[in-house]
Amino acid sequence: MRKLHRATSLLVAAAVSLTACAAGSGGDTTAGGPAAAPGADEAFTLTVWSNYSGRELAEVTKALESFKAKYPNAEIEHEGSQDDDKITAGIRGGNPPDVAMSWATDNIGQFCSSGTFQPLQPYVDRDRVDLGQIHDAVRSYTEYKGNRCAMPLLSDVYGLYYNEDMLAEAGLTGPPRTTAELLDHAKRTTKRAADGSIEVAGFLPTMPFYANNPQNWAPHFGAAWAGPDGKSSLATPEWAEMLRFQKELVDFYGYEDLERFRAGLGQQYSPDHAFHQRKIAMMIDGEYRTAFLDDQAPDLAYGTAPFPTSKPEMHGTGFTTGSIMGIPKGAKNPGAAWELIKHLSFNTDAIVDLANGIKNIPTTKAALDDPRLEVDEDFRTFVDLARSDKLRGNPVTPIGNAHIKAVGDFASSWQSGAVPDLLAGLAEVDRRIDEQIAKSGK
Amino acid sequence: MTATLERAAASRAARGRPRRTRHRLAVLGFLAPAGLGFVLFFGYPLVATVVFSFTRYDLINPPEWTGLANYAYMFGDELFWTSVRNTLWFVVVLTAGRVVFALGVASVVARLRSGVGLVRTLCYLPSLTPPVAATLVFFLLFRPNEGPVDSLLGWFGVEGPLWFSDPAWAKPGIAAVVLWVSGDLMIIILAAILDVPRDQQEAAALDGAGPVRRWWHVTLPAISPVLLFGVVNSAILALQLFTQAVVAGSAASGSANVTGSTGDLGFPGNSTLTYPVWLFTQGFRYFDMGYAAAMATVLFVVSFSITAVLVQRMRRASHQEEGA
Amino acid sequence: MTAVLDRAATPRRPVRRRAALEWVAVHSLGLALGLMFALPVVFVLLTAVMSDEQAFSEDLWPREWHWGNFAEVFETAPLLTYLGNSLLYSLLATAGMLLSSIPAAYALAKLRWRGREAVFLLVVAAMMLPPQVTAVPLYDAWSSLGLTGSLWPLVAPYFLFDAFSIFLLRQFMLTIPQSYVDAARVDGCSEVQTLLRVVAPMARPGIAATALFCFLYTWNDYFGPLLYTSEVPEEWTLSLALSSFKGMHQVEWNLSMAVTLLIMLPAIVLFAFAQRSFVRGITFTGVKG
Repeated sequence: MRKLHRATSLLVAAAVSLTACAAGSGGDTTAGGPAAAPGADEAFTLTVWSNYSGRELAEVTKALESFKAKYPNAEIEHEGSQDDDKITAGIRGGNPPDVAMSWATDNIGQFCSSGTFQPLQPYVDRDRVDLGQIHDAVRSYTEYKGNRCAMPLLSDVYGLYYNEDMLAEAGLTGPPRTTAELLDHAKRTTKRAADGSIEVAGFLPTMPFYANNPQNWAPHFGAAWAGPDGKSSLATPEWAEMLRFQKELVDFYGYEDLERFRAGLGQQYSPDHAFHQRKIAMMIDGEYRTAFLDDQAPDLAYGTAPFPTSKPEMHGTGFTTGSIMGIPKGAKNPGAAWELIKHLSFNTDAIVDLANGIKNIPTTKAALDDPRLEVDEDFRTFVDLARSDKLRGNPVTPIGNAHIKAVGDFASSWQSGAVPDLLAGLAEVDRRIDEQIAKSGK
Repeated sequence: MTATLERAAASRAARGRPRRTRHRLAVLGFLAPAGLGFVLFFGYPLVATVVFSFTRYDLINPPEWTGLANYAYMFGDELFWTSVRNTLWFVVVLTAGRVVFALGVASVVARLRSGVGLVRTLCYLPSLTPPVAATLVFFLLFRPNEGPVDSLLGWFGVEGPLWFSDPAWAKPGIAAVVLWVSGDLMIIILAAILDVPRDQQEAAALDGAGPVRRWWHVTLPAISPVLLFGVVNSAILALQLFTQAVVAGSAASGSANVTGSTGDLGFPGNSTLTYPVWLFTQGFRYFDMGYAAAMATVLFVVSFSITAVLVQRMRRASHQEEGA
Repeated sequence: MTAVLDRAATPRRPVRRRAALEWVAVHSLGLALGLMFALPVVFVLLTAVMSDEQAFSEDLWPREWHWGNFAEVFETAPLLTYLGNSLLYSLLATAGMLLSSIPAAYALAKLRWRGREAVFLLVVAAMMLPPQVTAVPLYDAWSSLGLTGSLWPLVAPYFLFDAFSIFLLRQFMLTIPQSYVDAARVDGCSEVQTLLRVVAPMARPGIAATALFCFLYTWNDYFGPLLYTSEVPEEWTLSLALSSFKGMHQVEWNLSMAVTLLIMLPAIVLFAFAQRSFVRGITFTGVKG
């Protein structure tokens, strides 16, 4: 039996030796502390992978080039259209970039716990970097279980968008502040055709739909993903309240009517977006929507506000997630890579220029306060949310977005009326998330 | 007399051995590159996959041996079984649908006298469309309420279903996309039909067989090896259905993407969560390559067994036909 | 035209009439099929010439025609470089596939040897592992050879083994009556000669079709180049250009569709010419000659 076990483990070793060798062959210097920064005149080349393309790619390249003010002999090779799968493959193959940028903050748990991204805390300690410059919520989605393996590169903050004309038409003077008010406003701004079909939905509560995701909604109901023991904690009054809010509105419309209305709406990332087309009066979305509205629906009179909360004292809560960057395992020049990351995370001018360029929210307090940041009235809401103590970050697990899909699936069967017992159903989702985490061994 | 016979027999035997050797050498020579490629590009990944399936592997750190844990997890994984059901649906519908559809179109095109080139090109055109674009086009055509198909139905007073947004219609919608791009199989079958020796056709015509009978008794048996290819190829295509399912799900949920890389997997209600989609999700989105490898191993064993039986059956059937 | 109608109307010529009716039936069916297949591609074209405010909206007819979108695509991405890489990838892969698959298919279809059926099943089996999974060990192997970032990992396998092509070619060769092959052997042809002089010419439509599929599959391949060459811009293929038109929170649908059409165009032209190889008659002139 023992022999068999040894034989099989030998086979494993043989079959994966390529993987192991390739992954271990890079300049992994983290074991011996942080790698030294390059000299000011030293010539070196850094490769950067990101998933940007087109105009955004050019803006990010410009921000990367600003690094040369400090290191004039640095060369930066920025390759766009590289997704997270590609980063993982590059690390396994032993040819990762020096700096990797990712949009998928859901993956941070894997990135930190597996060593995909190298630990940055030694660099932070060595350079005495003030992480207090970065909001707690943003810090929460760039680390996992105390291991800081990434830094933020701009963020998205979510709030309420509302159509001013539609609210005024319904005799409403301002945006809702609580979810009870949101229900009321949604009902009053809804319009139906003579045959009963929906023409305008005040607020569309189905999941998934545009930015209606459990992670965006949860903070506004005070719902937490995990308990103090780290186990999934969905069977709580807060989650139940969120789902009951959703169900009440779905029932108001009628599930069938609502699905027919929703299915005919335009795509989230197209000018045919339902809010642009005046088919929904209110929605949750990120700050980037302001740029698209100004560009694609310049005549639309809209306002922004913090998304309503279940309790009045929670008003001003926001949800944030964003792009991240890290030094992949096996990077050739980690010392210089850290200098570049530090530059993009803390250099106020670089951050403000990039934020103005691609209309995202800066992640340091200094950049948020910088007068050069282009902030109009609508964008102001999101900048304020980004400064607030009530800002909450994206939930982090080692299982990618499995927990989010589990809740999303549950919400979509709940809204269709297929769930008899809400709390028992949520407990079942808890069990499945915990099993998936246990399977990951992390 | 006997001497000559003996000598002839002896020389035949003497010639037989080198000929057999030459024959073996020919077989070996013809298959050598393929054999090497088979070992490198199939044997090696297969062994690696089977080995990974007994491990916990996050794609970064060396795999850890976990025995049968991944296989045991499958039994309780609800979405695993959902994906099995979805993929079985596609296997049944697409294997039958694709072969029948391609055979039908090819049979019509083979009989055209004018405009052949144009019609053939048009039929093949969709196969050239990248799968992401093809799926998005269908999504737009079948957009509920105001899309062209629903407008057309509206003229007849029919209210169309929600198509890609309705769990009952999403799979048929995807099947329609796959059928629309089956021009490749159509061309293969067309080539086979045109390849049927003309003398056989003419002999049957002289016997007084009409076009339908000729098609049934001459054309169909003659192209049966190519039809077998169509069946196996369509079944494999259905087993590996991925891009169309991902794109249809993300477009229906309102977040379509040009590269088909994101979206709400399985939307609506996991009706488009095919086996490869769930396998990919577990392996690359939830970082459990061990579990994905176990799923791949199960898929391989099951689909290989079915195909082996199918190929044997088809061969026996065609032998019987030859014998009769 | 009147002549046709007259003839069709003459009751004394039922055979002619039936033939004419069949002609009309078959051709209208062919036309309908052609339209059905073409229509969605027309939508791609219409979207490609829309303004970015209109693309992917419920309005399917362009309000204004933006032919400049095609020029804009050329400005955004160095399509000529990509075109060169795509041609290199597809041509080399197709040539390699023909070299490796024709002999293998011949051995599986027309030579008798023990274990043939088992080997054939293995070839079919090779198509049944999900590519998403096999890509993991294969990528690691290629990178340990230092060949990622080039077209080699994409092209090289075709010079050895392509299960789809072997399978397809074998099935085509099976449709050739064994008597032709036996006759060649009686005439004293070696196996190589039988393959080159008898079987290959007779299987020409099948070979042409297989070559075409190999070319077009590699031409449209997106995930292969994304995995192996996308970090080196000089090695991008045309199919990767699609990813140039999506942003973090937006998609440029009109330009995406314009580049889709530009990717398809060379393939359409190639097909329009290559399809002559399938036209009836070639097979038999091959045998006579």
